[in-house]
Amino acid sequence: MPMLDIKNLTLEMGSGDNTIKALDKVNLSVSSGEIRALVGESGSGKSLIVSAICGALPGQWHLTADRMSWNGENLLGMSVYQRREVMRREIAVVFQNPQASLDPSSTLGEQLAESIPEEFVEGSWFWQRAQHRKKIAISTVHKVGIKHHKHYLSAYPHQIPADIGQKFMIAMALVSQPKLLIADDPTRGMEPTTKAQILKLFTRLNQTKSLSILFVSHDLLAIASMAHSMTVLYAGQTVESGKMKHIKKRPLHPYTQALLDSAPSFRKDLPPKSHLPTLGGSIPTLQHLPIGCRLGPRCPRAQRACVQKPAVRRIHDHSYSCHYPLHVEKQ
Amino acid sequence: MPQFSLYEEEFHPSPWQRTWAAFRSSHIAMVGLVMLGCFVFFALFAPIITPYDATEQNIDGLLIPPSWTANGVISHLFGTDALGRDLFTRIIYGCRITLGTAFITVVLAMLVGVSLGTFAGMLRGVRSSIANHLLDALMAIPTLLIAIIIVAILGAGLLNSMWAITLALIPQFVHHTRSFVRAEMKKDYIVASKLDGANRWQLFVHSILPNMIETLVVQGTLALSIAVIDISALGFLNLGAQSPLPELGVILADGLDAAYLAPWNVAVPGTAIFLMVLSINIVGDGLRSALRKRVSH
Amino acid sequence: MIQILTRYCTLLVLTLLVLAVMSFSLAYLFPGDTLENLTGLVPENEAQREALERQFKLDSSVVLQFFYYLGNLLVGDWGYSFTSGLPLLEEVGIALPATIELATYAMLMALFVGIPLGYYAGIRCYSTTDHILNSASMTTYSFPVFWFALLLILVFSLQLDAAPLSGRISLLYDVPRVTGFILVDVLLSDLDNKSLAFKDALSHIALPTFAIGAITTASLIRITRRSVIDVKHRPYIAAAVSRGLSSWQIFTRHILRNALLPILPLMAIQITTLITNAMIVETLFSWPGIGNWLIQAIYQRDYPALRIGMMAVSTLVITLTILVDLFNRIIDPSREKYEHAAV
Repeated sequence: MPMLDIKNLTLEMGSGDNTIKALDKVNLSVSSGEIRALVGESGSGKSLIVSAICGALPGQWHLTADRMSWNGENLLGMSVYQRREVMRREIAVVFQNPQASLDPSSTLGEQLAESIPEEFVEGSWFWQRAQHRKKIAISTVHKVGIKHHKHYLSAYPHQIPADIGQKFMIAMALVSQPKLLIADDPTRGMEPTTKAQILKLFTRLNQTKSLSILFVSHDLLAIASMAHSMTVLYAGQTVESGKMKHIKKRPLHPYTQALLDSAPSFRKDLPPKSHLPTLGGSIPTLQHLPIGCRLGPRCPRAQRACVQKPAVRRIHDHSYSCHYPLHVEKQ
Repeated sequence: MPQFSLYEEEFHPSPWQRTWAAFRSSHIAMVGLVMLGCFVFFALFAPIITPYDATEQNIDGLLIPPSWTANGVISHLFGTDALGRDLFTRIIYGCRITLGTAFITVVLAMLVGVSLGTFAGMLRGVRSSIANHLLDALMAIPTLLIAIIIVAILGAGLLNSMWAITLALIPQFVHHTRSFVRAEMKKDYIVASKLDGANRWQLFVHSILPNMIETLVVQGTLALSIAVIDISALGFLNLGAQSPLPELGVILADGLDAAYLAPWNVAVPGTAIFLMVLSINIVGDGLRSALRKRVSH
Repeated sequence: MIQILTRYCTLLVLTLLVLAVMSFSLAYLFPGDTLENLTGLVPENEAQREALERQFKLDSSVVLQFFYYLGNLLVGDWGYSFTSGLPLLEEVGIALPATIELATYAMLMALFVGIPLGYYAGIRCYSTTDHILNSASMTTYSFPVFWFALLLILVFSLQLDAAPLSGRISLLYDVPRVTGFILVDVLLSDLDNKSLAFKDALSHIALPTFAIGAITTASLIRITRRSVIDVKHRPYIAAAVSRGLSSWQIFTRHILRNALLPILPLMAIQITTLITNAMIVETLFSWPGIGNWLIQAIYQRDYPALRIGMMAVSTLVITLTILVDLFNRIIDPSREKYEHAAV
């Protein structure tokens, strides 16, 4: 049974004639102990899904879903307090820009100490508790690989480099011992060395603590090495979803094929000076979303039936939504 | 795949149009704009719409109550004051003097302040830091003090009070312009223009000034409300406009003597100043919200 | 840290020097005789005039005159007033604490009422309470201070007879001057009916303080509300929400401090406006403060008084401004990265 199960999530803004459906019947599920990658270009709505799971959507969005459950409990039906408890203990989020996610007026140590849930802190007098909090903070910070904890824990957010910042955000996420870690493009704009460190950290955490990770990104190289399963998102619609090795071996949706083609390391038989295939056009803006399958205008295999949204079909665990998938010969 | 464009002709409003659309969507801001428009109309067309002359004294009709009370007459809409002058006329002329003087003061202060601030912002090094700190410190001198000193040196009068208020408003403009220019100079589009070969003057006129106009307008409305209050305060204290010049503060001070017998002499000019400042503040606030909405969307 | 302190000390000294230069030059700029403007003494005949000129170094260069003047200023020999003939040090010494008292109480009222209300309006932004507070603060902020004081007088003093019209304390009580702050002096003195005297002083100070304080409070409410709304929409608040912190925790730990920091630089401008308003209100309430004194001086063209009064008030305001700036610099960890708050 998957831990996080989202089915037919729709996010719309506006009313009547001017409804904009930013997310259109999105399906996503994360099972226990797996790393799922959520792949899509910028503008496909990945961050909106993360906000929807956290419950931090801005007021103008309306959310409807057939099913949005965590460990079997319906997230939408919970009270605010219960939802907050789930966010506090069981789900943790790491955002894009570590410096923007930290309060600029207090030190890192203070912020880490305040995130530690009460249940983990022992001691009956408040100074004992404060000391224990500090101990937990130091040990968590060591676990993510920050060596000089004394210097960094007493620094302010504008004084630390970006990679330490991101590792610190992961430490803040881990301190409540969550079961699911949502990483919203954590390695954006990082140099390859630091990126590799962060990704290795994620893999280690997944293996040692069996922490499930929902890794949202558009960096295929990073994902290919790490993820167990992948969901591909295009302009607010899920186009393909399944195990990583199946998708790599045999992508079923033209968009997935285009994505994999555009990353040269996926192709083994690449002759020198050969043409790197891309998909023409660009992702549509929210005001001009095509009807039916949103890849229609750009898809090389599109035909008349594509103005209707394709249904989700499955082959074992590999689900896709396309009228003319790649394993069916084109007429 | 068909090669025609699926997107129809799009309408991209310019930033000014977007600001105006956001401004229009707030009802309160539109009401403020209409009120301000009324005052500007009064200021511009005062000689045409007033029934009497501002200093014409009607000896038979002293302290006539306003027309909506039992003893009032319609020919004197707001009543008369202790010298028999029609209050309605005086208020309209008063709007003209107060608002007009305030406007001129703000424009002068803006010109001087923006030039000084840009100059200080484009400088760099120890010189600019000293100048900046000194200017910040001197910004703290109260308006009334400057007015008193200038009145002592040059004598009382509307023109001298204008100098005083201009001097008092300049530091604010300098401060904001300086911080704005300093922030903009660090941005990449300025570097791009510099690499293209623009000298300082061209940088200012083509790159920085268009971006600065919006903040300047907001600053200007703030300064206008301060200027109106200060001019009427100085008129009230007899340091600025002198009687019988119908400036709103002076009318208020004149009415103070007979306040117990004829409270409208105090209420009407005060309400006029209050409404003027309120409308300026509402419009300024609406502009600020509109600009914020435009930037955040 | 020491660097910052020395920098601000030098700034203070530099600014005060500039003020002294301006004050000195006023003796020349004011109409009338320079000697009389400088000293306040009117010489009766030629011999006295020459003696005074030698004493104040008016026969030597301007620079020497200035240094002598500066020396006099620091010692406390500020000259004499034209109208009353009393030494100016004494007159300013009576008048300035009265204004400081009024301004202090008004500022305290603004801080303790304005900032919490601003927080409340900001947290519940765009709700009904917020709209009411916003409109009320905008309306109060638009009142000209002298008209507001006039209305208060008309309503409370004349119609309702609830508060007295002028002065600091009823003439029945003779309170010896210790600090110059009337409420403190009443408590420190040993009158028989101390509580009655205190209540009387309180009733005298209530209306002027309210007149000044209301406008400053309205201003602070608007500034605080804007700062809180800005902070609420920052990403680290969203990150804190995603960590599951309760709204009370987020408020006390994150919003409180971060919303307060950008407001502090604006406090300096509020102090300036406060003192201007205090000076205007003093004339209406016949409060014996420095505003009233200066305005009487300008009506009577008392130039030495004006010169010294300007110096005194400017020194006060600039010292306060620099102190506020220093305070900001010390407690704010990332000063350069901060932009100033907007209204």
